[in-house]
Amino acid sequence: MITLTQPCSVLVVDDEPALRKTIRASLAASGFSVEEAGTGAEALGAVKQRPFDLVLLDVNMPGASGIEACRQIRAFAPGTGIIMVTVRDAEDDKVQALEAGADDYVTKPFRLRELVARLGAVLRRTRTDIGEGPRVLQAGDLKMDLDRGQLWKAGRQIHLSPTEFDLLAVMMKNQDAPLTHVKLLRGVWGPEYGDELEYLRTYIRMLRKKIEDDPARPQYIQTEPWVGYRFRNPSDPDQPPSSADDE
Amino acid sequence: MHGFWQTLRWCAFGTVGVLVLTFVAFRLHLSFAAASFGALLLLVVQSLSGNFGSSVVVSVLAVGCLDYFFTEPLFSFEIDSPFDMMGLAAFLITGLVITKLVTKLRNQTEVSRLHHERLQRLYHLAQQLLALEPDPKGGSPFLEPFCGTLGIRSVCLFDAASEEVYTAGDAGDDLEKKTGDAFIQGKDYENHEQGFSARCIRVSGRTIGAIGFEGLENADLTAGPLAALAAAHLERTHSFVHASRAAAAAQTESDRSAVLDALAHEFKTPLSTILTAAGALREVECLGPQHRELAETVESEAARLGRLTSRLIRTARLEREEVRPWIELIDVSSVLADTADQYTRLSATQRISVIKDCESTEVMTDPELVRLAVSQLLDNACKYSTPGSIVTLKISREHNQIAVRVVSSGNPIPPNESNKIFDRFYRGTDGLRVGAGSGVGLFVARKIALALGGGLDLDNDPGAPEGTIFRLGLPVPESERVE
Repeated sequence: MITLTQPCSVLVVDDEPALRKTIRASLAASGFSVEEAGTGAEALGAVKQRPFDLVLLDVNMPGASGIEACRQIRAFAPGTGIIMVTVRDAEDDKVQALEAGADDYVTKPFRLRELVARLGAVLRRTRTDIGEGPRVLQAGDLKMDLDRGQLWKAGRQIHLSPTEFDLLAVMMKNQDAPLTHVKLLRGVWGPEYGDELEYLRTYIRMLRKKIEDDPARPQYIQTEPWVGYRFRNPSDPDQPPSSADDE
Repeated sequence: MHGFWQTLRWCAFGTVGVLVLTFVAFRLHLSFAAASFGALLLLVVQSLSGNFGSSVVVSVLAVGCLDYFFTEPLFSFEIDSPFDMMGLAAFLITGLVITKLVTKLRNQTEVSRLHHERLQRLYHLAQQLLALEPDPKGGSPFLEPFCGTLGIRSVCLFDAASEEVYTAGDAGDDLEKKTGDAFIQGKDYENHEQGFSARCIRVSGRTIGAIGFEGLENADLTAGPLAALAAAHLERTHSFVHASRAAAAAQTESDRSAVLDALAHEFKTPLSTILTAAGALREVECLGPQHRELAETVESEAARLGRLTSRLIRTARLEREEVRPWIELIDVSSVLADTADQYTRLSATQRISVIKDCESTEVMTDPELVRLAVSQLLDNACKYSTPGSIVTLKISREHNQIAVRVVSSGNPIPPNESNKIFDRFYRGTDGLRVGAGSGVGLFVARKIALALGGGLDLDNDPGAPEGTIFRLGLPVPESERVE
């Protein structure tokens, strides 16, 4: 369980009062200051009244959908971290949530430590996002120098093609954040791309061969089925539980 | 017989007419020419209603009368003057030609009237049939208009698609039999004496049934068009039935989808609440070790329920939806080890061991789907094998596939069921094998295997009939393929 170094305010938006109450009590015990909202409209009202560090937003709510609420909250408060709660395992919900501006998602039913880990990761990202960011990125035993275009793994230099380097740079800059295929393709290849999943799969396969100890059991580049990829920092303190434990 | 008496009647009328004309003309002392003219008129009038046979009889009689009463010598059939002879011959020929022409014209008119009438009836019948709502249950109401409009004694219809026989009117067994025979032999049947006729109903070369009539007038002309009408109606009914079924199936699917979504939401939200609450309880510092263990149990059991719910919903979705795999390079043995580990932790009586028979177990596949398919096989293995026995997961390389065998002992699948177990909703005839389940598990597992470019089969060892072996084949990466 993470411990908060600074105060953090969370708005929990769900139409189920029992879940709201439980999350509130559990997060409060971990040091978050929590407020509740029962609908998307209420959530937007609350966000307009005072700033929140994080919003935990259910996708499936009566009335205006969670996705629409996410879009509105994002437009009003660009600096707030938004985590969407989906109920379906598959496909569209998650991509829609990310496209609407969410920073991450959790799927019901989730464990408390998974939720807290996600909240912590998003919080850290939103707080460090300000400014240009460091020119040397580090994750586990990987070190990337953006200015010199070089990558080292445990002190040994690894040669990457320019596209491989760009792709890994985008991922390392967004550590722990889910990145959709479209976002990766546009970020690396250009705005006119978006459907070329084969490109992406090929480059991810090559990258894994170069940076992973065991490409078939990747530590860094994790697949998010149907959504895209997520770059994990193995030495990250709030590592969410591994998928084998919680599949 | 009817025609003979009719001809006789017309002959009698004509004879009376000729005799009266002769009597009147004789008393009025009319000349041969005038009498001939009168007789010719009479012949024309007679031929307007009579047939050609009666006209011939009347013509000959008229010639006799003219010869006897109006040519020299009178009261004798002899003829003195060659002119008179020529006149009589001319009369006879003219009379016969006119009679022939008039009769022919009349017949043609009659035939065209009948044609018209028949067409009108067929048209009415077609209208009535079109106005009928197609009835998926059967054809009897659709046969009623045949009797009503065409005045047929009885109609019988055999529908090959439903293998049903429908009748209307006062149909005897004979009609049903003859109609059935016509379909079986694929030949039309005609019996004028008994008034039976049967026609095969054909649509674009296919025989889709047969229709039989009893007491149909002009069967040669009418039965064909009637069969065509029946064909059209039958096809319409079939399409309607097909469309209704498709609509019902679509409705069922959409209902099921709604139920699944509701289930997903209704189950997962309270589960999240329990998980969060149990997780928070575990973190409470003043909790004793026993209480902490209880909180952990609640959390892990709720998580398990969550996994089961997710799997159930996923399986149900895959059963009806297209499987869209997300293929990537994975080490299948690690996925299998994780899955087996989960089962071992959950089952008190079953042990699962993983045996790896090859160096590399990398495959191009979708790990989530593999996990789902293997879970299904392990579920079955745990459910049906001898309690306490070991279920083995054997991984080996076979040509261009990595073969995963799930080996369990006890309660084998009967050989005659080995092909059916992958059918949708198949639950097994053997009572022992019918456990809790929806009958879609193996169907979905095979669907997944095929979508992943592999296969799933029952691979029982003939030497060990007391066990069950399922073989899941997954394709190796292209770079490792051998010719």
